[in-house]
Parts: sequence; structure tokens; C-alpha cells
Amino acid sequence: MKKVPDWLNSSLWSSVASPSDRISPYDSKSTTAAAPHPATEPPAPVLPPSVVREEPPEPEPVSPSNDRGDDEKVRPERPSAEDISRQSLLLAELSKKVINIGELRRITSQGLPDGSGIRSAVWKLLLGYLPPDRGLWLSELAKKRLQYQNFKTELLMNPSEITRKMDKSTVSGNDEMKSTSGELSRSDLTGGEHPLSLGETSVWNKFFQETEIIEQIDRDVKRTHPDMHFFSGDSLDAKANQEALKTVLTIFAKLNPGIRYVQGMNEILAPLYYVFRNDPNEGYAASAEADSFFCFVELLSGFRDNFCKQLDNSVVGIRSTITRLSEMLKQHDEELWRHLEITTKVNPQFYAFRWITLLLTQEFNFADSLHIWDALLSDPEGPQETVLRVCCAMLILVRRRLLAGDFTSNLRLLQNYPSTNIAHLLYVANKLRSTP
Amino acid sequence: MVLVLALGDLHIPHRAADLPAKFKSMLVPGKIQHIICTGNLCIKEVRDYLRTLCPDLHVTQGEYDEDTRYPETKTLTIGQFKLGICHGHQVMPWGDLDSLAMLQRQLDVDILVTGHTHQFTAYKHEGGVVINPGSATGAHSSVTYDVNPSFVLMDIDGLRVVVYVYELIDGEVKVDKIDFKKSTAPPSH
Repeated sequence: MKKVPDWLNSSLWSSVASPSDRISPYDSKSTTAAAPHPATEPPAPVLPPSVVREEPPEPEPVSPSNDRGDDEKVRPERPSAEDISRQSLLLAELSKKVINIGELRRITSQGLPDGSGIRSAVWKLLLGYLPPDRGLWLSELAKKRLQYQNFKTELLMNPSEITRKMDKSTVSGNDEMKSTSGELSRSDLTGGEHPLSLGETSVWNKFFQETEIIEQIDRDVKRTHPDMHFFSGDSLDAKANQEALKTVLTIFAKLNPGIRYVQGMNEILAPLYYVFRNDPNEGYAASAEADSFFCFVELLSGFRDNFCKQLDNSVVGIRSTITRLSEMLKQHDEELWRHLEITTKVNPQFYAFRWITLLLTQEFNFADSLHIWDALLSDPEGPQETVLRVCCAMLILVRRRLLAGDFTSNLRLLQNYPSTNIAHLLYVANKLRSTP
Repeated sequence: MVLVLALGDLHIPHRAADLPAKFKSMLVPGKIQHIICTGNLCIKEVRDYLRTLCPDLHVTQGEYDEDTRYPETKTLTIGQFKLGICHGHQVMPWGDLDSLAMLQRQLDVDILVTGHTHQFTAYKHEGGVVINPGSATGAHSSVTYDVNPSFVLMDIDGLRVVVYVYELIDGEVKVDKIDFKKSTAPPSH
């Protein structure tokens, strides 16, 4: 049985909010014969090149300042020196005429500072919505926003309006009710369209079929982040935001008949829209709906297959992805893998399905999930690959509890993952990159 | 965009067993917001069936309806339009436009829906529009022979109404439409 790597046994991996059993030093309880290694780097660190990475200092590093947004505990703002230098690096990079995306990825992978409004621009760059050349930003944005506007006008017409437009091209006998009396003339249908049409290409038929999807979208949007004032509640802002989410998802569903809308897409869209809507630049914030539509499409394109039921059992489907997570865990921590999957029979599908398909938006508080998304979006391997490593890290971080637990307690733990230090989590995830 | 189904004079079970199959396959729940029925269903099973298509059902009394509690006339407002319903056997001469126009002015409605003649008609006069959806089952009447089953579906969209006429002719469903607009000023009487 492969030994747990020594660096995993370090006391560094105890997180702030965890109960005592994780903080107790691993060393004395370690089953391995190796002497305890407090804070040394593992043999072959695969870090992005030229990173001057400081050691994660104490077991309780200061977390970057929290979003001054909505809910959650109000943590005192104590940006570390690291954060400040990172912020200045970012601002420097972003103010260049042509931004080096590789460099941006490198800096972002360590996390973006909250409250500085940088995230909105950075995410747009990382997702390829904004070109690296700043000079092209204005024209690109104008083009895309206009395109979205056209989508809305075209696709959100109801069949009455559509047939009326079709009518205008032919002469219509629009009888005014107040003119001469007599029998009203009957005219032929435009394009054979009538409301009860069951024809496949009928706009009416398509409309009624899509009504179901739109109702589903409406239900899901209303349930998105019910604890946040931004998304939920009776305020005008919340209602406007919900409308925006609904419209984006509806347009996506209409433009993609192959995949339509699947529950969970609302959770992928929510962080994008939130970040863009909170852009300090008012013009950008006003176009958050259009911008998040395109970024949503881009983000989803990497793992659409997860949402396609027919592909579930295929090589590209979600089941195969979950298997890869399992393999990854086995590779890095066979003891845990064995205990989890064989001994306590906790099938990864019970917990990892939601972790992976929703990109961890449901497992942490909103602010933390934004940090995780910084890492997911900036990693050159792409969000789908990176999330697997983060999931694996999540398992490893709670290994003591898992090893001590049975099916019920393990499942409960993994389906309600405890709040944890995200910087730690991402650090561990980074370590899990496949080494040659 | 509100869809209103108007039909009547089914005479089930006395003169017809059921709606034509081709009609039934088109009339599915979830599409129609209101149903207007001129009367002569005649039994409550028909009313129950219509309710499955749409919960908002309005029926007026036909002379052969077994349930005698339907009103003689009914009015309702849908969007910008006021609609009136009456079976029509009360209005003499049957099917006469001027007499129906009088009824329409009495009810003060833009669109009057009546039946009894089992013949589809759609007329316009200064007071408004009178529509007879015919008999949805093609039941015979004392006035008309050789009845084609027919019904009407109105799409009320703002100030505009598109009346889709569904008729079963020689076993095939033929659909055409009538388009009219209401002026914003109230009609003078």
C-alpha cells in the first residue's frame, strides 16, 4: 500500500474552522515510520514556473478580505502583505496595452483580492470574452452586447408577434371594427401557423414546448442562493437580477436545442452574473447580463457533456469524470481511497456529482466559491480538470475524519463539507498536479 | 397573448357521441387560457372534459342542457376586450344579425359569441363583432343540415384579435383566420 506522502502529514493542513481532531499534530499519530516534517516542501513541487511562493506560515493564515457583499460572517479586513503585492501586480498587468494572459493566469491562480473590482475584468479576460489587447475592448464589448440584444429581440417574441411579422410581408386584411358592417372575411393562414398546430416547425408548437423549460428555469432561478439579498427577496434589485438570470438561461436554451436547460446551470451562471454586476465601472455593471451570457457559454463549453444525460455513461460523461477523481485519490492517498470506497462503500457519485457539475458552488459560502473559481478559471488546464484536483484535495484535507468514519458519517461529512481555509485547499490541490 | 377557445352545440350524447377525433388530438391542456361555451353540451361529462383543457370555463344555458343552472347570458373581460356569451335560441329570428346586434348593445361587449344555428358565422357591425363558432361535433340542428364540425380559437393580443376558425371538412381539419383590431376609442352606440 502506497504511503501517504509525508508532507500530507504535516500539521499545516489543519484548517481554521475545523474541530479539534484535525488540529492535533499528525506526527504522533502517524502510522508511517518517517520522522515528522514540519514545513518542508515535498520532493518535486510542480508549481507554475518562476513563482516566488512563500511558505504558508502559521496554521491560521489570514484570509483575504471578505466581499463587502451580503451575508456571511463579517470578517475583519486584514489583507496580508501578499495580497497587497498581488493586487499591485494585477493592476500593473491589467493596465498594460496588451495583457499577457499567461502572466495573468499565474497571478490569478493564487487568488484575486476581493473588493477591488478586479475580478470582473480578470474573469472576462480569462474566459476569452475580452481580448488581451486593451485597444479592442470597446469595440468587442459593443459588438457582443449588440448581438445579445438582437438575440433577445428575436428569440423572446411570442408566437402572436411572430405571425404578425410574417403577416406584414403579405398584405393583411386588418379590418377595423368600426368600419362598414357585414361579414368578416376569412383569410388563409400565414405559413400554416395556428395556435393548436402540432407541426414540428410550427412556432406555436415550439412555443408551448419551450414553456415547460421556461417554467423550470423560473423555478430554479427563484431558488438560487436564497440567503443572499442579491439573488433573493422582494427588493427591486433582487427581482431585476432574477429576471436577468432567467433571460440569459432562456436565450441559452433557445439557442441550444441539443442541451436546452438542465438544473444546475443556474448555479454556474450565478457567480458570473454576480461578479459582473458588482463591477465598479457602472457601464460594465449595466451590461452584466449580456457579458455573463457569453462568459456562461464559454465556461459551459468545456463541460457541456456533464449536462447531457445521454452521455452519462460515455467516456466524456460525468460518470467517467467521477471515475477519474476516484483514480486520482487512489494515486495520491490509497489508504483513504480504500477506506472510503471499499471499506465504507461511499460511492463517489453520492457526493462528487454535485461537486464537479456545479464547480463547487454549493459546497462553500459564496465568497469562498469565488476564490475557488479564481483558481478554476485561471488554471491553464481548464476548470474541468482543475476542479478534479480541488475535489481530491477536499477529500485529503478531511482524511482523518473520513478514516475514522463509517458510511453514514462520511457521507454526511462530504455532502456538508466543512468550511475550510481556501488558500490551503488550493495549495494542496496545486500539489496534486500529475508529476512525471 | 391570450388564447380563448369558443365552441358550443355539441349535443352530446343525444345528437353526437363525441368531438371528432382530429379535434380532440389538437385540444390539449396547457395551451388555452379561457373557454367560452355557448351551450347545449348537454351533459356534465362534457363540462368536466372541457375543464381538463382549461380551468376557466364559461357556459351559458342552451335549451337542451341537462344542467339548468347556467346563466342565460354572461360577460367577461379578457385583456382589452369585453366578451359576451349567449346561446342564441332566445334571440328571434334565430341567427339574425340585427337582433343579435341589439343583444350585443344590451350587454355592451366588443365581441358577442352565440350559437344555436350550428353554422359558423362572423359578422361585424357598428357595435362590434358577432361570432358563431358553429357546432363542435357537427350535430344537426333544426335550422341547418349538413353541418361541418367547427370551433373557434381567439388570440387576443392587445388591441388585436386573430380568430382562428377550425372546421372539419371531408375528414380533414381546415384552419383559416380572421384578423381585426379594436380602435382605442370606445364604440359609439
